[in-house]
Amino acid sequence: MSSTDPTSSAEHAAAARRHDPVVRLALRHCIPLFLPAIPFALVLGLAISESAMPTSVAWSTNVVVFAGAAQLATVSLAATATWITLVATAAIINLRHVMYSAALAPRFSEQPRWFRWVGPFFLIDQLFALGVARPELTADAWRRYYLTAGVFFFTAWNVLVTTGMLLGSAIPAEWRLDVAPAVMFAGLVVLGLSNRPGIVAAVVGAGVCFATLEVPNNGAILLGALSGVIAGYVADVMIDRTGAAA
Amino acid sequence: MNAPAAVAAVLAVGAITYASRAGLILFLADRPLPPNVTRALRYVGPAVLSALSISLIAGGQGIDGVTGVEVAALVAGIAAAALSRNLIVSIGVAMTTLWLLLWLT
Repeated sequence: MSSTDPTSSAEHAAAARRHDPVVRLALRHCIPLFLPAIPFALVLGLAISESAMPTSVAWSTNVVVFAGAAQLATVSLAATATWITLVATAAIINLRHVMYSAALAPRFSEQPRWFRWVGPFFLIDQLFALGVARPELTADAWRRYYLTAGVFFFTAWNVLVTTGMLLGSAIPAEWRLDVAPAVMFAGLVVLGLSNRPGIVAAVVGAGVCFATLEVPNNGAILLGALSGVIAGYVADVMIDRTGAAA
Repeated sequence: MNAPAAVAAVLAVGAITYASRAGLILFLADRPLPPNVTRALRYVGPAVLSALSISLIAGGQGIDGVTGVEVAALVAGIAAAALSRNLIVSIGVAMTTLWLLLWLT
């Protein structure tokens, strides 16, 4: 077979991707993050199968929306809310993504234009946690890492939500698997903390969120997040000033 | 909800979701951010993810949705993450704590 054979080139490219250490690193990091999302995916599958929307339209949220909490709100509220209410609710739930977008903008600024348009589609909580924690990767390696993780989560999410449509009601509620995602995000925070301002941001974010849990439409997440960012920033500035004065 | 209204709702939610994720990435891509903003953005990760964790524990039921057993499991998971630096160990310890406490109470 000649070296210019397109089939051979495609096989070589596929083999190179399989052996790319960045791709393997991304897959290794994805699996522990996806395991806790399994119960949520199954619950969403069950909600889709019971939605007031036509089942195929409710299932299409996996592909069109790809955001667990917004999907669950959309398919669950379909029986009682107007579509404008659905959209407004999803917009409020998704407000934290605006902060993700701002935080990752510097990394995307060094990427090609096509990736700036495609990459944000995959920007779920887990991918933000992975993406923001890899400052050591070059722009090219970060893009491969991000895309590998994004495609992994998108594929696994679709498979599991569809499985949940078939099996969701078979998982006993007493297993309390709904607690696992909360533990996963708390664990990610701990693993990502590297300095005192980061600890301040995490503690204030959690504390303010807890104190404002009665605010409707996930408002507590936003209030906690904004307070945490401000507290982290103030702590950073104060530590700098203390260091300069010493 | 009929099919056309459902399709319109799903497309609108999809567009809003994409806009919330892509908006600032596309808008800020070719603009340098002020140093103070860049400095503050370093803390988006710990602040949002810790708030998200608390909100998930409450399960949309306000403060009444947070039980002592769940808090104990979360604290055990955080301690395990700090000691082991391993996410799977953290989740395993937290869920084992939860099941043990639920069994005992």
